[in-house]
Amino acid sequence: MRKLSIAALGITAVLALAGCATTSGDTGGAAEKGNIRVWLVGTDTPQAARDYLKTTFEKQNPGSTLAIEEQAWGGLVDKLTTSLSGSDSPDVVEVGNTQAAAFTSAGAFLDLTSDYTTLGGNDLLPGFVEAGSYNGKFYAAPLYSGARLVFYKKDALAAAGLSVPKTLAEYVSHAETLATANPGKSGIWWPGQDWYNALPYIWENGGDIASFTNGKWAAGFSSAGSITGLTEVQQVMTKASVAPKDGNETNPQVGFCDGSTLQLSAPSWVKWSILAKADAATPGCPTQEPNLGVYALPGKTGGAAAVFAGGSNIAVSAKSAHSALAKKALAIILSDGFQTIYGKNGLVPAKLSLASTLGTDDVAKAIADAAGHARLTPASPKWANVEASGVLTDFFVQIALGGDVKALAAALDTKINGMLNG
Amino acid sequence: MSSIDIAVDAVPSGTAGERLGAPSHRAPSPKRRKSGGFTPYLLLVPGSVVLAAVVGWPLIQLVIISFQQYGRAQVFGAPAPFIGFDNYLKVLSDQQFWNVLLRSFSFCVVNVVVTMALGTLIALLMTALHKFFRTLLSIGLLLAWAMPALTATIVWGWMFDTGYGVINFVLTNWFGLGYHNHSWLINPLSFFLVATIIVVWGAIPFVAFTIYAGLTQVPGEVLEAAQLDGAGTVQRFRLVVFPYLRSIFVVVIILQVIWDLRVFTQIFALQGIGGIREQTSTLGVYIYQTSLAGGEYGIGGAIAVITVIIMMAISLYYVRQSIREEEL
Repeated sequence: MRKLSIAALGITAVLALAGCATTSGDTGGAAEKGNIRVWLVGTDTPQAARDYLKTTFEKQNPGSTLAIEEQAWGGLVDKLTTSLSGSDSPDVVEVGNTQAAAFTSAGAFLDLTSDYTTLGGNDLLPGFVEAGSYNGKFYAAPLYSGARLVFYKKDALAAAGLSVPKTLAEYVSHAETLATANPGKSGIWWPGQDWYNALPYIWENGGDIASFTNGKWAAGFSSAGSITGLTEVQQVMTKASVAPKDGNETNPQVGFCDGSTLQLSAPSWVKWSILAKADAATPGCPTQEPNLGVYALPGKTGGAAAVFAGGSNIAVSAKSAHSALAKKALAIILSDGFQTIYGKNGLVPAKLSLASTLGTDDVAKAIADAAGHARLTPASPKWANVEASGVLTDFFVQIALGGDVKALAAALDTKINGMLNG
Repeated sequence: MSSIDIAVDAVPSGTAGERLGAPSHRAPSPKRRKSGGFTPYLLLVPGSVVLAAVVGWPLIQLVIISFQQYGRAQVFGAPAPFIGFDNYLKVLSDQQFWNVLLRSFSFCVVNVVVTMALGTLIALLMTALHKFFRTLLSIGLLLAWAMPALTATIVWGWMFDTGYGVINFVLTNWFGLGYHNHSWLINPLSFFLVATIIVVWGAIPFVAFTIYAGLTQVPGEVLEAAQLDGAGTVQRFRLVVFPYLRSIFVVVIILQVIWDLRVFTQIFALQGIGGIREQTSTLGVYIYQTSLAGGEYGIGGAIAVITVIIMMAISLYYVRQSIREEEL
């Protein structure tokens, strides 16, 4: 009997002590040395850039290490919220430019205002600096900008007797012609969840996602211009695309390589997915290189269309245990050496002065055209909630299914207004 | 008296034996008896401490958050004002919440019934199988049980893929049905059909093994006697086997109800593959979407508290019901 009591007491004591032991002990250590964790999102950042960052950092800071942890774009806002607020926060994090405001406004990032000039100053991409600033303070630096381009099969366009479209209307009609001429194939591959590609249709027709007037946000999907654009979107999705109506835009190279996709609009780095080795982890079809054409999405009245400026910002976590080291890593990321690797891989570097690193081929020209007309999503701290809630993907899936555009748009506006003003 | 009952009874009788034994050795002193009386509680301390830290503390936090205006800024340290029952009022007056609740309950009922029926049948099959095939079946069940839900959902998602899935391929090319490029997830009913297949597939091993373990404890003589008395297979199961296993069934059903009501991974992953979120969200996913994705932690907390209350009510009802049945 007594033995049992003693044993019970003993177990209690051990548990209590173990509880104490884990909380202490993580203090101390030289302030100058540490392991810096960098979160990069998706596969956009090329391996060469990752290697450059790691070796340069570890050479400049002997005794410290840098680990790159790759995160997924899906559910990123949720994951950043939980990890940046915890005691085990990563030090340097990439965040989508449309998501940055959710964190700059919440105080999740370290104030970088005093480092603005050393990081690049006015040479940094202005739209992305704006996305990374809040209340006049600078929190998240530009990382890179992607440009959305249209990739096409040269032989398919030639066989249908078509040339590169000059206007948005021509682009839509070409897509339908291609789909009719090639039953079972996509004139434009467009899975229903891919809402980024729908934005140019709205903008080119004079519509807007949301506008800020008199202290309130007003969503604009049901405005006349937006409805015109959305009707065009529905036309393409239902008549020219055989992509799953509720599918997402990952792995666009699969259809391109098996021949069922004749055109697709995607970020510029998709070129490298398509041309990946046939035996790579995510295989591509390098043999298609001579047949792979690219152009910037044409606007309503010619020239390049206003496309969504997808891209990333990079910031230091406010809870970083080694903020001085983290800033050094950030400086390397914004250095010319690192950013040039982005340029060479078809991503727009964070600095205006490095635009020439994109080269002079078709892709580079198309990127330059598209980047000049790029637009952003509404600059509200709550916009990230709208994206993360999935109302936009739901909406475009229903558009792809052939739903009533006007009724769906009105319902979407009500939801977005509730979230942005709530 | 089933095996489970014997096991349950063994604990109090052991303690009683100790108490009975003590006076025979030395004179009973109140002090001594007191310390003996505390021992069971003392033994409960370590477990309770761990439970309080791991389950209790987050639960208290959740309840507090559900009465606060708690957004993303509060996660990063901004003060969170108390707003009374505002979050609860918002949730209860939102039609979407009631849709989600109804959807979750329907999904739960269907899944529990299908899982229990198939699980019991497989357990009965295992008692009848030759040893070699029983081992083979057990290994198959264990593999399904060991598969993480996320991995399983993604693989099932590939099989049901619109463009390249094996299901559409087989239905189209082998059976000549019009399933070319058929989207399985876009219609909510069809979405939940796929979800049910995945959830039931993952839950059957647990049910089958537990009930099989119970079945091996049903004495063969009793079944033989029932057979001699002229009871058929169904009667033997209903009148002899089932009463023996009633407590096992109660526990398994409660667990299944709770698991299926709060199902998250399978639905969340399937929504990423296809379908329309608004028409397919269940309680777990809806809480996640509201709080983590939408940044409305207060409202999400209120939904979570309501869910906890519902689940506790269901569990209490079942436990009381089973105790009452045993007393009869």
